[in-house]
Amino acid sequence: MPAEPGQTLIYLPGLAGDPGSSPALAALEADGWTVARPQLPGFDGESGFRCPDDYLGWLTALWDAVDATGVGPCPVVGASVGGMLAADLAVFRPEAVSRLVLLAPFGIFDADHPGIDPYAVPTAKRLEPLFERGVPEVFRTRFAHKGDTEAPVSRYLTDIAAASLIWPVGDRGLAHRIHRITCPRLVLWGAADQIVPVGTAAAWGEHQVIEGAGHLLEWDQPEAVAAAMRSFLGR
Amino acid sequence: MVGVKVLWFHLMPYPQLPEDFRERYRSVWVDLDAGLLDPEVVASSYETYLDQLVFAEACGFDGLCVNEHHSNGYGLMPSPNLMASIVANRTSRAAVVVLGNSVALYDPPTRVAEEMSMLDLLSRGRLVSGFPVGTAMDTAYAYGANPGTLRAKYYEGIDLVLQAWTRPEPFAFNGRFTKQRWVNIWPRPMQQPHPPVWIPGGGSVETWDLCAERDFVYAALSYYGHLVGKEAMDGFWEAVERAGKDPNPYRAGFLQFVGVADTDAEAYRLYKEPAEYFFQRSLHFYPGFVDPPGYSSEASVRRKLQSSVRAAAMTTQASGGPTWDEMLERGYVIIGSPDTVREKLEDVARTLNVGHLMTLLHFGNMSDELARQNTELFGTKVLPGLKDIWSEHTDHWWPTNAR
Repeated sequence: MPAEPGQTLIYLPGLAGDPGSSPALAALEADGWTVARPQLPGFDGESGFRCPDDYLGWLTALWDAVDATGVGPCPVVGASVGGMLAADLAVFRPEAVSRLVLLAPFGIFDADHPGIDPYAVPTAKRLEPLFERGVPEVFRTRFAHKGDTEAPVSRYLTDIAAASLIWPVGDRGLAHRIHRITCPRLVLWGAADQIVPVGTAAAWGEHQVIEGAGHLLEWDQPEAVAAAMRSFLGR
Repeated sequence: MVGVKVLWFHLMPYPQLPEDFRERYRSVWVDLDAGLLDPEVVASSYETYLDQLVFAEACGFDGLCVNEHHSNGYGLMPSPNLMASIVANRTSRAAVVVLGNSVALYDPPTRVAEEMSMLDLLSRGRLVSGFPVGTAMDTAYAYGANPGTLRAKYYEGIDLVLQAWTRPEPFAFNGRFTKQRWVNIWPRPMQQPHPPVWIPGGGSVETWDLCAERDFVYAALSYYGHLVGKEAMDGFWEAVERAGKDPNPYRAGFLQFVGVADTDAEAYRLYKEPAEYFFQRSLHFYPGFVDPPGYSSEASVRRKLQSSVRAAAMTTQASGGPTWDEMLERGYVIIGSPDTVREKLEDVARTLNVGHLMTLLHFGNMSDELARQNTELFGTKVLPGLKDIWSEHTDHWWPTNAR
């Protein structure tokens, strides 16, 4: 369903950062949605990133970044680590979030479904387990324009930002506060998610499982993810 | 005693990793199979290793070193302080060098200040207090420390320990990571204002600057010998120059594997097996545990990317470990007759400008008999010949009551 003129959603990216719109997000943009991207510290790979002291520091940075977009209240789409942040935005700033889309969010660790540690993988191979259908080229080439030395430095800086949010097991206590989310929410999960296995999804309540998708499901199965989001956001 | 300080360093390795360890197991660190552990072997090893440290003092070594590793098959000392307390009690002259406690892992780090004070008293003022960041495997993986904030927490922890040792009145500490309303440790160290602080390091830019600016000893703990280590030491001495400090060699320490025998040929024969055990089995670790995001600073990542020497060492290690001849060619291990070893170590000390030579004379699965032979030959025939080096300088970083 096409968006109303001027409709905007906020997008918070996952573990591998934001190399540009996924095909699923691009489909929403084609419908007329404008995607606002809060500038979270470190995720841009720029030099000089200093990690916030703790999770409250990250949430404060998130709130500042969301406010700086100048949009809202509006739908918020969060993937992976961005899903965890989106959920906490809805918990603590309910006035900013009209609808919530969570794509395999971190934030609740299920010891019965631990998944693999995404950072206990050799650096050169860390992207691979995030996807079920191969690593999209755009993730490999995101910083290529910076050259042979600076490109890996930028990738490393974005990894620091994402990793520090979920270290060591990706649990930030969401299980104890998701009951405070009052806006409508859509939870999607890849059936083949190796990082936050689909067995974790039940802790988030009602959810849909996307077959043939890994952790970053919007890249693995864009049509199915876009269809689910269209249906939900168009209600 | 004047001249270069020679220290005897123990890693306390597990000595019975299977021959096919490299093929059957992923890593000697972090997810090492506990089924490999025989408690009797560990208990016996502790007794043997402690005896070796005491023996090293009798052979004339200036200091005895222990260190901290977690979930590790070549370092059986999660708490080096326990070992140091025994060494302190069983020796009387050598420095007790704890290299060290990873202060960011302890909450509050005040505990480190307390235990180091106890060790300084137990040794009657012979303690060197080391504060490593800790390896990625020890900190980020085995202890779950967030690598993105580890280094900042580490710096803050050192500040807290130094204040706890030296501030005469109870005080409040309001750090980014540690908040404590009452800091007032009992007991306090014997050495005043505090025991010497050494910082074990592996080549990060920040550690060089920290040591240079705050007058801590930089103790380079690479296992890859003096040729690879030169890069790290050069970086440190550049930091010293930037800080406007004098290049006193006692600002630095350097770790080196050493094997002494009556002849060069005999040394080649004797030390092959324990060296291969260490570099081919004990250093077999999974590359996925090496580089947690944030463990290295931006500047250090950039520097590592540009270091061809380091890359070559890592590539060899990942591909099955170096051969015995490669270990010797690359300087990972220095072996030979007493004259050969003395000449090589003098060259190391002078080339790297190092006043504290930390020697690993037990490594891998070396037998107690060979470790003692190595130690005795070194103590009687190598060590005296090294004592002229740096005798014109003063060691301001040596414990008050150590020889």
